[in-house]
Amino acid sequence: MKQIAIYGKGGIGKSTVASNLSASLSLLGKKVLQIGCDPKHDSTRFLMHGKKITTVLDYIKVTNPLDYKIGDILYTGFGNTGCVEAGGPTPGVGCAGRGIITAFELLDNFNIRSKYDLVLYDVLGDVVCGGFAVPIRNEYADTVFIVTSGEFMSLYAANNILRGVSNFDTTAPKVAGIIFNRRNVDNEDAGVIRFANAVGLPICAEIPRSSEFDTAEKAGMTLIEKNRHSEIGSIFKKLAGEIVSGCKLYKANPLTDEALESAILGKVKTTYAPTPAQTETTSEPKAKFNWDPTDVTSPNRYLSKNIINDEPLHGCAFNGAASMSVHIRDAVIVAHSPKSCAYLAYQSISSAGRRGLFERGALLPVSLSPNFECTNMKEAEMIFGGTEVLIDKVKKVKLKRPKAIIVISSCPSGIIGDDIDKIKYLEEDNMPIITIKTDGNISGDYLQGMLMSYTVLAEKIIKKGVKTIANTVNVVFEKVVAKNTNSNFKIIEGFLNAMGVKVNCRFLCETTYEKLENFLSAPLNLLAYDDYTGKILKNYFIDKYGCKFLNEPFPVGFEETKKWLESVGNFFGKKDEAEKIIQDNEKIYAKEIKMLRPYLEGKKLMIITYNHSLDWILKTALDIGMEIVKLGILNFSQDAGFRTNLGISLNMEENYDREKRTHDIKKYGPDILLTNYESSAGSTDYISDTIPMCPDVGFYSGIHMAKRWAKLIKLNLQGEWKNDELLFRKYCP
Amino acid sequence: MNCYSENIAPDSFSGIIFAMEGIDSSVTLINGPSGCKFYHSSVSDGQSVHKQDFDPLNYPEKWYFGQPRVPCTYLDSRDYVYGSREKLEEALDFLNKNVTFDLLAVINSPGASLIGDDLKSIVSSSIKEKKFVIIETPGFSENICSGYERAAIEIVKQLSIPKQKVQPFTVNILGLSIFHKYYRGDVKELKRLLNICGIKVNCCLFAGCSIEDIDSLSSAKLNIVIHPEYGCETALFLKENYGTPFYVCDGPPIGFAATEKFVEDICTILKMDRSNFKEESEIARAEAFMNISRVNSLTGLPKGVNFAIEGTWSEVYSYTLFLVKHFGMIAECASIINKERNVFRKKTTALFSKLYLPESLEKNIMDTSSELVFASGNTIANLKLQGHRFSGIETSLPSLGYIDVIPKTHLGLRGALMITEQVLNGLMFE
Repeated sequence: MKQIAIYGKGGIGKSTVASNLSASLSLLGKKVLQIGCDPKHDSTRFLMHGKKITTVLDYIKVTNPLDYKIGDILYTGFGNTGCVEAGGPTPGVGCAGRGIITAFELLDNFNIRSKYDLVLYDVLGDVVCGGFAVPIRNEYADTVFIVTSGEFMSLYAANNILRGVSNFDTTAPKVAGIIFNRRNVDNEDAGVIRFANAVGLPICAEIPRSSEFDTAEKAGMTLIEKNRHSEIGSIFKKLAGEIVSGCKLYKANPLTDEALESAILGKVKTTYAPTPAQTETTSEPKAKFNWDPTDVTSPNRYLSKNIINDEPLHGCAFNGAASMSVHIRDAVIVAHSPKSCAYLAYQSISSAGRRGLFERGALLPVSLSPNFECTNMKEAEMIFGGTEVLIDKVKKVKLKRPKAIIVISSCPSGIIGDDIDKIKYLEEDNMPIITIKTDGNISGDYLQGMLMSYTVLAEKIIKKGVKTIANTVNVVFEKVVAKNTNSNFKIIEGFLNAMGVKVNCRFLCETTYEKLENFLSAPLNLLAYDDYTGKILKNYFIDKYGCKFLNEPFPVGFEETKKWLESVGNFFGKKDEAEKIIQDNEKIYAKEIKMLRPYLEGKKLMIITYNHSLDWILKTALDIGMEIVKLGILNFSQDAGFRTNLGISLNMEENYDREKRTHDIKKYGPDILLTNYESSAGSTDYISDTIPMCPDVGFYSGIHMAKRWAKLIKLNLQGEWKNDELLFRKYCP
Repeated sequence: MNCYSENIAPDSFSGIIFAMEGIDSSVTLINGPSGCKFYHSSVSDGQSVHKQDFDPLNYPEKWYFGQPRVPCTYLDSRDYVYGSREKLEEALDFLNKNVTFDLLAVINSPGASLIGDDLKSIVSSSIKEKKFVIIETPGFSENICSGYERAAIEIVKQLSIPKQKVQPFTVNILGLSIFHKYYRGDVKELKRLLNICGIKVNCCLFAGCSIEDIDSLSSAKLNIVIHPEYGCETALFLKENYGTPFYVCDGPPIGFAATEKFVEDICTILKMDRSNFKEESEIARAEAFMNISRVNSLTGLPKGVNFAIEGTWSEVYSYTLFLVKHFGMIAECASIINKERNVFRKKTTALFSKLYLPESLEKNIMDTSSELVFASGNTIANLKLQGHRFSGIETSLPSLGYIDVIPKTHLGLRGALMITEQVLNGLMFE
């Protein structure tokens, strides 16, 4: 079976050429199948005597897959030519390229091509994307003809087609040559000949401009059928004969734009500015991101670290936005996505909830039962656009009367260009529809999605001019997927309550639409984490709403907790209450340190971690009298820049890696090695332990860790299970 | 307002990945964003621990993102416009040089599949000496079972598995995946029962099989479909292409009677003696009897206890048959997942009519009042959140988090005993 693709600029006459060629081939006794790959689906019209046939994509749209029948999309035209039209979406919506892929998959399922001697693909204009390149893939066309006139744009398109083909003719040449379809413009022949010579292709046929085509097409026929003795017809018949007997094929050798202009127009060489891709070949390191907490005017202030540093994106913005938005308990979140995107986001929201129930019996409503729905975009939506299913879904969700509907878009909806803002006409006075256009990871990583949801939801929901409520705070940027989010909040709430201060709104954690509306009624805001994202969010609130924030984030370890309590006490005029809490705990802390010294004093501590803020553990270690021999800081997608307020010199190294670990363990000989994940690259020469990514807040975070080390050192506990590593390698390869 | 998760379920994309991850010594590379990989790596690693630790320094940031399984090409907005070739080639080069594998499966993410990159040509130019399978279209919102079956059929097609001489007394097991909660125990038990009868399991497709097992698929005398939703299309394909006959279980063999029928049918087809199995089954029944009898004599239970079940049509059929017939319990609620995979719909509907419980079928499990709930950890957690008092028995993923060191199963005789144990421990004594 021979497969031929006919490419050329839109409107250049590909369908006329293709259908006359098919007709000629059929007259040679060949069984021919012509597949129109143009959304305007008129490739086979004159083989079908003017009849428009059902396109594959229209068919798929309305037919249950179990009811698919080949006869519904395969028609028979002149000379028993098989006629199929792939079809496509309405202009401006969906993805026509995806449509081609889908149509070809169905045709393959029917094994339709094997029933013919020749298949002719009549393909839309240019090789504009991967979908329109499908016909020139190795499993499809083995022969490519390019239809062109002498007009510059037509030749420009022909050259682009060669660029497309050059990606696919790595195993064997594919291009048969040029079909010159005359438009009778000035110097037409010379331009086409120069182009053909420049790209090293023959002109396989020259089709004159003739009213014979118009006459035949008015009669709903190909010229071949209408006038069997036409001279022009004989050109097609000759080409058909050459195809049957086997054309010589050439490799695609496209010209640069400069060479193309020079070849066609005889222009003097133009000097082009190098494209950004060309200039990026230098090995100069890119500028590192430096966080300046005072810089709220930076245009990048709402961008995640991954985006700014051009790092591989961790997760997707869709998931980040969904995971935060579900914390408005009385809103419904609608994922405009295929099932898989919503499912993956649902799992990241709910896994901490399931674990919390299993380990601690904790019932966390948001994690266990988020108000999260999905439009379940299917193949049809990918081709024809998904606005209709989104409208249907939002109408159904409205029946539940949520306080708000939040729509978040996924990669597929972004790629096909769905505009989720179109849904806003369904909004009601007491039921806003808020859209977060994450477009999956097109807008960025998980953190970027978090930032987008924070800023979009704040701007749409928070009311300005609300009355201040004394002795209240907002809690901002808790890490909702951490295991200790709730227990940490309880500790903080306990401190606040002891000082007579209440929590107004948790942004965004287990809150409601109304609480978020009244966010500005709290005179003080408490940032839970002052990592990269936390700082951005804090600056956003200061910049946008003039919010006041406590300087210190949620405190971890004795010193931080002491300082934090003093600051809160100072702000609310509750110094005595704060001091009492500190005094009560100071004695206990000193006692604990004293008890730990006999076991840990003088011991060497090495830490390799993603945590960029470690004072809580370092201070405890120093209080006990331990020696901190090395800090290896790993690159972390969620934070940038190691921070310490200890005011001492530390042997710290950022961008730490596996090789350095091996070297440093040997060099420093630590007694205790702390990491976020314990490694098999362990040794019995030191005690290893893990530190949490999100440590517990309060006075005793460091003490609890040190107590574990003391026990491990005292008993020299390693765990005999480690001796079975060789057995693991033997039996579980 | 409680939206529960009625339309949040894994789809064919996950089905394909979990199928490929069920092959030993395979690497499943997602040509897509890292957001598509984290969950799949986590489940694959959790269901079948391949690596001894979680040290992120062992799993490079690019491709693996600190996880042991399912690398990805971390596509971003630029790649959707300019194509994924460059990143894919870079990942393939890394895997080629640094990772040991027998089979590479390259799966487009749903977004990546829209841009139409020619995966076959890209992968074939990089992977010269290893086998590979590519899936360009993972499906959009199709159910997980259809993705799983698509992977099965594609792997047979793309690896051009030859027709081989049929080995007597050998079977393949189809329709089990690592996404089945107790798949390790399921495989172990099914192999044990068949081995007792002198039957050798040739390939347990996508449930811990090797590439050699897949290569020898056509040498089995019979294909056995355990979960029909996950295996019927594959069995039909293998019949059409290799002539291998197949046997579809009467629902997964859950409970004593179903297991006995399963073994009896297979032995009849393969003309094998099942007397050793018979004794094994009688001993298991006796063990169950002793324990049920003791509880029953004290409390009258488990007879009359209401239960709720969530599963595919065939799972609901098998669990219900066992729980109703063996324990005398009442199916108060049966909630169907992957409904459109309906090969067992009629049979299950007929069963519920026969039990005079048609109103229990296709009931929302969130409305159950049963004291025993057989469902995923997620559904169990949701019901706990609602304040409903019950005992939850996990039948499917996601799990609440229990780590199974000893492989467990709900299939076969050991599965029947396990369910018996869970039922007796889940009852509320008045």
